[in-house]
Amino acid sequence: MNSHSNIRTTRVAKAIKAPKSLTELKERVLCQIIRFTDDEISCRLMAMGVLPGTKAEILRKAPLNGGFYIKFDNQRVALRKDEAASIMVVGI
Amino acid sequence: MEINIDQKKTTPTTEQSVTSQPALDNNIAISGKDHPFIVGLVGNPNSGKSSLFNQLTGLRQHVGNFPGVTVEKKVGAATLSKGDSITLIDFPGTYSLHPTTQDERVVLNVIANPNDEYHPDAIVYVADVMHLEKHLLLFTQLQNLGFPMVLALTMNDVADRKGLSINKEILEKQLGCTVVKISNRTGEGIVALKVLLAAVKQNPQSFLTKPVYKHFSSLEKKLIKNVQQHFPTQSDYRSLLLINHFEHLPFIGDAQKLYFQKIIDDAEYIPIRGRIKETMQRFDIFTPIIHKSIQTTASERNTFTDRIDRLVMHAVFGPIIFFLLMMLVFQAIFTWSSIPMDWIEMGMGSLNEAIKTTLPSGWFTDLLTDGILAGLGGVLVFIPQIAILFFLISILEEVGYMARAVFMFDKLMQRFGLNGRSIVALISGGACAIPAVMSTRTISNWKERLITIMVTPLISCSARIPVYIVLIGFVVPSFTVLGIFDSQALAFMGLYLLGIVSALGAAFVFNKILKTNERSFLMIQLPDYKTPEFRNVGLNVYEKVKAFTLEAGKIIVVISMILWGLASFGPSNSMQQARQEAQRIANEQQLSEAEADNLLASKTLEASFAGHFGKFIEPVIRPLGFDWKIGIALITSFAAREVFVGTMATIYSIGSTDDEYAIKERMAKEVHPITGKPIYNMATSLSLLLFYVFAMQCMSTLAVVKRETNSWKWPLIQFSFMSVLAYLSSLLAYQLLA
Repeated sequence: MNSHSNIRTTRVAKAIKAPKSLTELKERVLCQIIRFTDDEISCRLMAMGVLPGTKAEILRKAPLNGGFYIKFDNQRVALRKDEAASIMVVGI
Repeated sequence: MEINIDQKKTTPTTEQSVTSQPALDNNIAISGKDHPFIVGLVGNPNSGKSSLFNQLTGLRQHVGNFPGVTVEKKVGAATLSKGDSITLIDFPGTYSLHPTTQDERVVLNVIANPNDEYHPDAIVYVADVMHLEKHLLLFTQLQNLGFPMVLALTMNDVADRKGLSINKEILEKQLGCTVVKISNRTGEGIVALKVLLAAVKQNPQSFLTKPVYKHFSSLEKKLIKNVQQHFPTQSDYRSLLLINHFEHLPFIGDAQKLYFQKIIDDAEYIPIRGRIKETMQRFDIFTPIIHKSIQTTASERNTFTDRIDRLVMHAVFGPIIFFLLMMLVFQAIFTWSSIPMDWIEMGMGSLNEAIKTTLPSGWFTDLLTDGILAGLGGVLVFIPQIAILFFLISILEEVGYMARAVFMFDKLMQRFGLNGRSIVALISGGACAIPAVMSTRTISNWKERLITIMVTPLISCSARIPVYIVLIGFVVPSFTVLGIFDSQALAFMGLYLLGIVSALGAAFVFNKILKTNERSFLMIQLPDYKTPEFRNVGLNVYEKVKAFTLEAGKIIVVISMILWGLASFGPSNSMQQARQEAQRIANEQQLSEAEADNLLASKTLEASFAGHFGKFIEPVIRPLGFDWKIGIALITSFAAREVFVGTMATIYSIGSTDDEYAIKERMAKEVHPITGKPIYNMATSLSLLLFYVFAMQCMSTLAVVKRETNSWKWPLIQFSFMSVLAYLSSLLAYQLLA
């Protein structure tokens, strides 16, 4: 099977100057975590290896304000909207 | 009304003092202690830990709960060589010793307390070689606690295939820890691990590792010193863990909690900031080590999993695929299981007959057959459903699909205070509430799990079908709707919908009443897709069936014996009278032997304690349109709802039959002794139907709920709220229609 035939390619976000919340990005945009806005959520995320400097990319947003399916480096994590919103990202 | 459900409140606080711990704080087995050598399997979720546990222990494992909480505790025995074995504990998957979930708190509680019964003498740290750079945080924390350790890298077969190779020597040197590469699927490295474990048991000291993290800030050093002044036996990192989490650790006494709080207040320490700093520094230390030791030719992106997820996680196709899968599960529990269930029922039936013909008739034989055997049959008959449900669910779990389903339905379920995983229980509940309640173990948030358990029995299960079939004809006459639909089939569907709506409604109410301090997270890792390991699937099915048969089974057999007693015995004079009257009527009307037996059964049931009880509660159920005969059926239905049909058959003396149509005919003829109008008019029948939709008439479910919630409190609450709901809706229906 042709490995790229049906996969939309990932865009690398370069244009983000001021840090913004991960939830504001579109699907398939590669960015980088710069900090978190919620101590408790960040504590949990960091334990999973999601830290400042980690690459992040939204693979899918669930409809109706549902969850976010995100790829952090090479691992996939599902987050609720408020959880994802506490992640601040910048371009790479 | 609010009920706090945090489980730590019910955890018994042991009065052990921290100061009374052994002088040596290195966690090493004290020589001469009589308990076996305990090795803990510790690692992140999805690290292949449980797979390794199954590989090492096989059937020699026992699944229970950690004391005071419903967190799964798996203990097993592993044979290293002939005559040499160790005790293995599979700890719940954990990311960090700074816990954020109940599972993780349990791990900390055992790991940080050398006096704990399950405190390991050594640790096998399990990490997925494919995600090593994310999996070593906990490893470095355990190093600081001074455990003898071995690092087991799983998924080596996958790594080989993907062109990822790891330099074991560099990793061992940098981490100061013996590394063993294994594959649970191929069995690679398992023998090597066993040899290592034998060496660890021989000489644990030589497997102590040198911590890679030693960056305590000056504030932390001060705090540690303060703790150690009071509790001189504590190691540095353990002191710090105690300061951070003493509130949640049951082994720390109240006086010590006050002391810890004072240390924190005096130093103006903000624990969560300390934890964040520590976590980041640990990653900074071990990430370069991983990069040094790993060589990969694989591309960064795992396109296989991504490609499947394009479809499976799709906004439209995702839920469709999910419902197709669930239909398969439902179909399997509903129809496939009916074949082995018929065998079991037939087997129990012939055993029953055999005993009745061999043993002399009398109360003992009756107790054996109608009491104990009936109860046993009631237990065994559920096994096919439980086995099939867990077979399919374990496969979906093993493949990596379940985490996706959780993600898709999390938002919807959250509105009702449930979890994405609750949807599996709710759907399975349509076949049988028992395996459905058992499947909630995967919901890690206690409140969400409890609500799921509480409302699942409201979903109409297959045992309600015979009751619906008998009664629906009395409520809705059969006619065709819109040219294709049968009115009774629509009413049938309506009853199912009613069950679903009431379950979600009840969940909504429970969500408002139950209070917890545990914050609800989704934050779930979605593992790479992989082919299932059938050893894990098989062991899971075995474990669920065993747990149900042994633990819930005990309760079911006892209740079944009580119900038998109630229906077989009565005040001796009234039983005597009933027998004489049956004899008299039989003689007068010249009944055949079978007819006379049926009449006798009917009369003695009326005269029994159950009959008296039915008459006793008649005033309570009369507003619902029920007479004492229905009262008896309600009581015996508690054994299982479908018993309603058999009880009705006995009461109306048409023999113990399961033929729904014969009973329907007989019930239609039943008239009120005074008014002469039919008893089963629309009002009474609808009222009775509604009662069966809502009432908790299933001792097996209650027994399973007792097991899964670890207390009688929740099954009692469940029984009460469902009974009230049933009573009120029946009352409303009857009073409006009559």
